[in-house]
Amino acid sequence: MNQKTRELNRSNNALDQQISAENQEAFTDMICYLRGAKISAYHQELVRQDLTEMVLSAQQRGESIRSVIGGDYQAFCDNVIASLPPETRKQRIIDFFDTVCWCLSILGLINIVISSDAILLIRNAIIGKPLDFSMAVSLGSVISIGIIIPAAFIITSAILKNSFHIEHIRGKRIKIFMIGAGQILLFLLIAWLGQKILFTVNIFIACAVVLAFYAAHKLLERI
Amino acid sequence: MISSQMLKGTLEGCILKVISQKETYGYEISENLRAYGFADISEGTIYPLLLRLEKNELITAQYRESPVGPKRKYFSLAPAGKEELDHFYSSWCELENAVNLLFQKGEP
Repeated sequence: MNQKTRELNRSNNALDQQISAENQEAFTDMICYLRGAKISAYHQELVRQDLTEMVLSAQQRGESIRSVIGGDYQAFCDNVIASLPPETRKQRIIDFFDTVCWCLSILGLINIVISSDAILLIRNAIIGKPLDFSMAVSLGSVISIGIIIPAAFIITSAILKNSFHIEHIRGKRIKIFMIGAGQILLFLLIAWLGQKILFTVNIFIACAVVLAFYAAHKLLERI
Repeated sequence: MISSQMLKGTLEGCILKVISQKETYGYEISENLRAYGFADISEGTIYPLLLRLEKNELITAQYRESPVGPKRKYFSLAPAGKEELDHFYSSWCELENAVNLLFQKGEP
């Protein structure tokens, strides 16, 4: 997200607060749906600004979001998306790597913070014992990261594309529970099977790698 | 009521005509069209069309402060929009003549 988009995003976040509770649900559904469309982040924010203005003006006139947009919110959003220039392939690739770098920096940091080696290092530093800066990276951690990132992409995409059918999803609570339980079991299995140490790395190098991913994310989001 | 299929091809030209009269914004355009007899034309109906007209550089948009808080988008006709409006109107007259001729002189 470049500077211009970020500023627009900030002002839109502030304006959204003025939308009444009765209009909020439909408005949020529309913004979620637009977030999943193949249009640039800048155009998403521009449309969001226009929609906010439309809804707030309607509120002032005592009208609802339905009277402004019509009954079919999804058809409206599809028309809006079709009227905007599609996101370029280059921008889609940049966005993809930006998200991957961001995810890797967050997951890498979590793995460092919760690793037993890091905890031991801090404990030894406090009580004045000799310090061992090596950190073990297990097979389980690598597999987990390899599953979490694609799963996050799939789940986010499914939620955004189905923002108007959330009631339909709510009706499938048992199915969703089973999927969730299955995922927890899968991660427990990975944790149990994946205790094998793949390699050890100096904790400062691990931190530098995490920082590099974060720097790459910050760089890519500005393009 | 005018059918949505019939409206589809003509609404963009009518929006251009409304914008050609004075610089205006979405809600005002929809109200203007309603006043001329275009029933059920909400701001949501014309917003995607305005985006398309803007993308095709037929109209230009400018954000100005509005009394409700967020900046309001005001539209004005671009030179290419003026040409498109003239082209739309001549096509419409041609179509209107043809349809009228068919209904007045055509076999029952």
